[in-house]
Amino acid sequence: MSGKRRLLQGYTFMAPALAVIIIFTFVPIIYALYMMFFKVDLLAGTRTFVGLDNYGKIFSDPKFWAAFKNTGEYVMVVVPIQTIIAMVLASLLNSKIKFNRLFLSIMFIPTLTSSSAMTLIFMWLFNNNGLVVNMIDSLFGTKVQFITNPDLALAVIMIMNIFSTVPHFMIVFLSGLQDIPPVLYEAASIDGAGKIKQFFYVTVPQLMPVTFYVITMGVVGCFQIFDQAFILSNGSGGPQNSTLTFTLYIYQLAFTSNDMGRATAMAFILGIIIFMVTFIVNKVMKADEVNG
Amino acid sequence: MKKLIYVLLSLSLVFTLAACNSSDEDSGKSDDSKDQSITLAVWASSPAESNALEETVKSFEEKTGIDVEIEVIQDNFQDAITARFAAKNAPDVFYLEAYVAPKFINSGVLLDITDEVEDPDDFYQPLLNAFKDQDGNLYALPKDYSTLATYVNTDLLEKAGYTIEDVPSDWEGLVEFAKELQTKLEDGQAAMVFDGTMARHLSSFIASGLNPVKDDGKADFTSSQKALDYLQSIVVGQDGGYILSPQIDLGMDWSGAAFGANKAVIMIEGNWVLSALKQDYPDVQYKVLPAPTVNGKQQTMIFTVGYAISKNTKNKDAALQFVKYMTGEGQQQWSEGSGTLPTRISVAEKMNLTEDPNLKEHVEGAKYGTPWTSGITLPIISQSFDNQFQAALNGDLSVEDAMKAAEEEANAEIERQQE
Repeated sequence: MSGKRRLLQGYTFMAPALAVIIIFTFVPIIYALYMMFFKVDLLAGTRTFVGLDNYGKIFSDPKFWAAFKNTGEYVMVVVPIQTIIAMVLASLLNSKIKFNRLFLSIMFIPTLTSSSAMTLIFMWLFNNNGLVVNMIDSLFGTKVQFITNPDLALAVIMIMNIFSTVPHFMIVFLSGLQDIPPVLYEAASIDGAGKIKQFFYVTVPQLMPVTFYVITMGVVGCFQIFDQAFILSNGSGGPQNSTLTFTLYIYQLAFTSNDMGRATAMAFILGIIIFMVTFIVNKVMKADEVNG
Repeated sequence: MKKLIYVLLSLSLVFTLAACNSSDEDSGKSDDSKDQSITLAVWASSPAESNALEETVKSFEEKTGIDVEIEVIQDNFQDAITARFAAKNAPDVFYLEAYVAPKFINSGVLLDITDEVEDPDDFYQPLLNAFKDQDGNLYALPKDYSTLATYVNTDLLEKAGYTIEDVPSDWEGLVEFAKELQTKLEDGQAAMVFDGTMARHLSSFIASGLNPVKDDGKADFTSSQKALDYLQSIVVGQDGGYILSPQIDLGMDWSGAAFGANKAVIMIEGNWVLSALKQDYPDVQYKVLPAPTVNGKQQTMIFTVGYAISKNTKNKDAALQFVKYMTGEGQQQWSEGSGTLPTRISVAEKMNLTEDPNLKEHVEGAKYGTPWTSGITLPIISQSFDNQFQAALNGDLSVEDAMKAAEEEANAEIERQQE
């Protein structure tokens, strides 16, 4: 069979998937790149060219900087914590403890729960008459308001997100752990390394490609945090913009301000930020070398 | 091998064509077919309302022979409708909330129905005004509405040693009364529960001489000291523990639940609580009073939803007939089935609503209330209010500073939008 025909055959097999990706991913992206230079009224279907005005408006908006700060903080806190917890839990499960399948199933439940349901549960736990607040009250005698306090509202979302994403990443780590050849541990123990040293000098470096994947997906997921913030603040991003995230801000621009042009420009900025952060993570972790 | 490739190629072609075809058919249904079929987009509501809608639509179909296809949009109705308009695939008729009506009217996507209304004076005028533009042209007909009223849990009230006559009818008095009442309640009970969003307070602002949406669309929260005092009384009340938020302070889903579970004595709520109280808390004893006067003026909020017709509908006549039927001849059937309040005075009289002690004040409210709508910038302004008023409730900012911040935030956004 000639090369050309082989190529044709390949593309034919890919055609259904390619068509879907092109229609539902590439075309919208290109359209968004075009829309960000316009002032768009979605309802009336009118648009006027405004050049880079949308960017000027975004950068002069204090809400953008509030969203920038919140989302940045969120990523910086959530990604490292969730990665570390997931790695440690995976190593524990990978050792020969009893009932590890049972633990695995129980621990996986938070990931399966829908994030909206999870948010409602957490709001119930953290409201001013909820379990957590009353427990702190009876232990320390102070009433801490979580959801209405701008300094703590985001923390509630952070805890919730860590709780719900850790199990997923734990499974990813677990499969990575099972790929590590046992001979490495054997060699390490002959050299006199204990369990803890083995973890740091064998497990962690061997897991590097998986860790890179987990961190990348974590970063992307955290930058796109939306539903939790939306439900907790009723869509307003309050109190005082403390739960306003990038995606919530995009949503507000698109549907409250009815300004699709600015929303797409903002989405583009978010895309660039995620790209840059991933690029830096890639460089720092030298993922290419480990993978390659 | 060659054959296989052709088979595959033609298969994939068939699939793509099939996909195109089916979507063509879909849009064809709503666009091209005879005048005898229209689409109606509604949001998902209670079983009672869904049934009532289906029944009323069936009566309409039997009477006129026009086929009505009901599309239920499960969530984020406004966003979905906006997207449908953007995709040039708008439903012929759809539910339009008064709150977002100015945005739709301003975009010019709705059919002007000013001259089509039969007997417009029969509607409660505030309801009709909610769907008019600045020039008085009408773009939707109200299908039903809710108003706020004061609900008093008489069991708890009497246990605390008061009677319903002791409950003051003005806001200032009510706040004082709540403060006194709180001292006689058990732990975990609130004299009054409140909702801190602007949707509940617009009419009180207006009664205090403040119009938060100025004529040029800009926000104004600070020009009236009386309005600031009004907000201050809520902040002081929350601080003092006698005006509480059901979700945040009591851990209940909403005020109706707090009220029904005997955790709140007074709440200012809409008539939507009635069915919940009847079904979920049948034992709770209560009386319904008018919403308190503010600054000596009668006030309440009106929340109303109308039927709007999209301008580019191909079935204009059928759509008009439908909307007129649902807000005219068919309204009694709809109101009785769904338990909502009719927007026509004649229907309300026919249904003897003012004789129902629970509904009387809600129906009266339709005459003097303020609809929850005020120009295209209201969503931005109310979002800023909701975002910043919380800071005043926390004690992070004084009411005046919080309102200043809300005003600035909203105005900056409005300027960016209008540029």
